[in-house]
Amino acid sequence: MSESRLETLEGMKLSNVFLDSLMQIMNHLKIKEVMSKNVHVLTPEKSMWHAKELMRLKKVSGIPIVNSEGKLVGIVSIEDIILALEGNYINEPIERHMTRNVVCLKPSDNLKKAVECFERYGYGRFPVTDEKGRVVGIVAKEDVLKGLLQWFSTVYTHDERRSDVLESEYFYKSLLTGEPLDKRGADFVMEIGYTDINMAGVVAARLKEFLISKGVDEKLVRRIAIATYEAEANVVIHSGSNGVVYCFLGQDAIRVRVEDYGKGIENVDLAMREGFSTAPDHIRELGFGAGMGLPNMKRFSDKMVIVSEAGKGVVVEMLFYRDGT
Amino acid sequence: MTLREIADLLDAKVLCGDERLDGVVVEYVAAADMMSDVLAFGQPGFLLVTGLNTPQVPRTVNIVGGIGVVVVRKPVVLESTVELARVLEVPLLHSPLTMFEACGKLYARGLKPINVGVKT
Repeated sequence: MSESRLETLEGMKLSNVFLDSLMQIMNHLKIKEVMSKNVHVLTPEKSMWHAKELMRLKKVSGIPIVNSEGKLVGIVSIEDIILALEGNYINEPIERHMTRNVVCLKPSDNLKKAVECFERYGYGRFPVTDEKGRVVGIVAKEDVLKGLLQWFSTVYTHDERRSDVLESEYFYKSLLTGEPLDKRGADFVMEIGYTDINMAGVVAARLKEFLISKGVDEKLVRRIAIATYEAEANVVIHSGSNGVVYCFLGQDAIRVRVEDYGKGIENVDLAMREGFSTAPDHIRELGFGAGMGLPNMKRFSDKMVIVSEAGKGVVVEMLFYRDGT
Repeated sequence: MTLREIADLLDAKVLCGDERLDGVVVEYVAAADMMSDVLAFGQPGFLLVTGLNTPQVPRTVNIVGGIGVVVVRKPVVLESTVELARVLEVPLLHSPLTMFEACGKLYARGLKPINVGVKT
């Protein structure tokens, strides 16, 4: 095989990996995370001229039209404005010229759905409505692009940073069973890609949503969400690095694995003790650092293993039985 | 007691969830400033009284399945906290009372404490 052919194959392999992870992100990222919440709307009795002015001043290309209750009744796009100018009816009310059958997205839809909509309908933007039909946001193509770029930038910095600690063997096998771990088989993967303590819990909240969508028992979801929240807060407060939460849905049990690539725990036994905390004061002022993190994780899970060394990151694996025993 | 009655009792301003206040009936109340303590509560379905005013409060309450929050003692509640409470649909009240007064008034009206640390 010639060298250039080999390179192409390698390239294809790489692009497949890239596409896989892109698809995963598109499935995970929700519309509500990328949409613009600051939506400029008009009511139907306003004139097309109003719509034109609003577009010009706010530099937007589409205006959702809502009734007095905030419910979406139509949309006016730049194309409509051009037609109104050509047809000389720019001073007529919007009601007569807006598009009425508006394709909308829901806040809980994923990015994949948005991209499908862009492809299928060819519109430049889609209003986002809640269950009562009220406009809560708007998604344009650039919002999708921005959402993706942001995601990739966090993945990149974290890949750079974690290379030092990844040599530890416990990153590659299950702590509970000792088996080699195929993390690509995880049903839920999400990066703890921030360092702001005020965001602690966003991954746990997402996992909770995910588990509920999979029909997992409510009480079990609560236990898992709480334990994951604690693990997530630990990563943010203590690791000085990023982490990842994996969740595997098994038939009898649900397994959650939280990894970070940070400074590790020197004395795990001591850290397990209730009330023991190394959290600094500014963290305590935010309501964390009660020394209940690891004890809570142990309490709410059925089995828990934690492995760490100073400087080598932390891996926590927790098992939750579906029958609640 | 409904959340509406509690808002009146504690002289509290409704920061979000006003439309749901009449529909939420409170039986159990918990008070804590440490979010880890809140996470350790063994049962969902309680109203949280807290002196903390950060976004962690609605997020934690959402995770543990609490039914609402009263922020006490603090002169302001951060806008980011209100915003998140709105997104997570956690009713958020803001009372000028101290933690002690608020808890005392609620206790006197027959509201119950939760089980602490029992796994459910």
